[in-house]
Amino acid sequence: MYRETGLVNSPPPSGQDDAALLALVQRGDEYAMAALFDRYSKIVYSVALRVLRDPAAAEDVLQEVFMQIWRNPDGFVATRGSLGGWLAVVSRNRSIDALRRKRPTESVDDIALASNYNLADEAERNSLMEKAREVITLLPVEQRKTLEMAFFDGLTHSEIAEMTGDPLGTVKTRIRSALTSLRKAFPA
Amino acid sequence: MSEPRRITSEDLALFAMQLLPPEEMAEVAAYVEQSEDARRELAEIQGDLAAYAHTVDMQSPSAQARERLMKQVAREKKAIPIDRPVEAADSSVGSEGVAATEGFGRGAGSIYSSEEELPKRGFAGKVVPWVGWAVAAGLSLVAGDLYKQRETLRSAVTEQASRIDQLTADEAAARQVLDAMTDSTAQRVTLNVKGAPPAVPQGRATYVASKGTLIFTATNLAPLQPSKTYELWLIPAAGQNPIAAGTFRPDARGNASVILPPLPKGVEAKAFGVTVEDEGGATTPTLPIILVGAAG
Repeated sequence: MYRETGLVNSPPPSGQDDAALLALVQRGDEYAMAALFDRYSKIVYSVALRVLRDPAAAEDVLQEVFMQIWRNPDGFVATRGSLGGWLAVVSRNRSIDALRRKRPTESVDDIALASNYNLADEAERNSLMEKAREVITLLPVEQRKTLEMAFFDGLTHSEIAEMTGDPLGTVKTRIRSALTSLRKAFPA
Repeated sequence: MSEPRRITSEDLALFAMQLLPPEEMAEVAAYVEQSEDARRELAEIQGDLAAYAHTVDMQSPSAQARERLMKQVAREKKAIPIDRPVEAADSSVGSEGVAATEGFGRGAGSIYSSEEELPKRGFAGKVVPWVGWAVAAGLSLVAGDLYKQRETLRSAVTEQASRIDQLTADEAAARQVLDAMTDSTAQRVTLNVKGAPPAVPQGRATYVASKGTLIFTATNLAPLQPSKTYELWLIPAAGQNPIAAGTFRPDARGNASVILPPLPKGVEAKAFGVTVEDEGGATTPTLPIILVGAAG
């Protein structure tokens, strides 16, 4: 007898939470996979596009990241935090790997992530985006630029120091301070 | 012996972004594994980075990206776990056996010690209980096969539906282009340098030899007697006879077009020409040639 496969034959409600969709994906539910894609493809693609600046390469990363969910939905467990946040970070890491033309780091997706946002909810997602953008625009230019170079361009602190002429310690402090400012904007 | 380096939250931030050299990555990874506080801080940093990632300008991936993913998902369809009725049957038989034994007041295991002491069962009695399980196993296999077929069909239907949508959209766009080019009510305007002398008859042919696709438009053509028609000719580069490429009559403003006339594929053109022929067209061009243009 086949196990009950829940919503295998009908699209899951759009409001279904990530954990429920992942459970369906684990049982081979393609509709659940499509629902996750519809929910998070934009952020995954946008991050990849920002890093790689190439739509075709960004779509490759998008495909790779979502196929990883399909192949191994256990790779993300709810205790690790928000799936949307995890996907955004994984997309960035995969894109940096692609930029460096190296094989994906084995532990790249083993990310525990603290987040107070329910990114499955579009309104909360939009709210996070707005707030994060606001914080970033209020950062001192050097901090903003340094974080951008590290996160989106994948430059090491040594490379950033070399490019900007700033001491290594200053570069590290700027990155840390920028992230601290972000954290303060999203209190636990 | 050197003191181990102190791992700071700055190091953890760089570690989270994988920006440390390999040896430092390993060092920090080992530290994180040991320290609960470091793991907590690292999770916070990952949360900060996730929030930062959301500051990016949002762009939607193409519709093809979704299609590509769902195709790949369908290709890597998961085997949904199924229960195994044969094993279930075995275990059921076992427990029934024990129950039967207990019913006869024997200790566990004695069922196998003396078969003679059991109630005698005929051939039918031995076979019939298995028939149910055999039927169940058979049905399970058939159901499995049907499920597989259904999933294959569903995947094929989804793919075909998507293809049909694409073709329909392409067809609609192509139809719109053709309609615009052949619509007698369409406004056709030839742009010239301001103050240029009155326009002369002119034709423009666009031809793809490999596909035999030809689009011809003409402007400022003189009107013809009712018994006459203009005819377009393709003059092959290889020296064969001119190939008739369609007859046409201009509208009241002298505009005309020949869109996708039936032509053989792969005939390279040396030139195109237009002649005036009797209504119905001719098989060879009649001089004079009204319009002529060499293919570039």
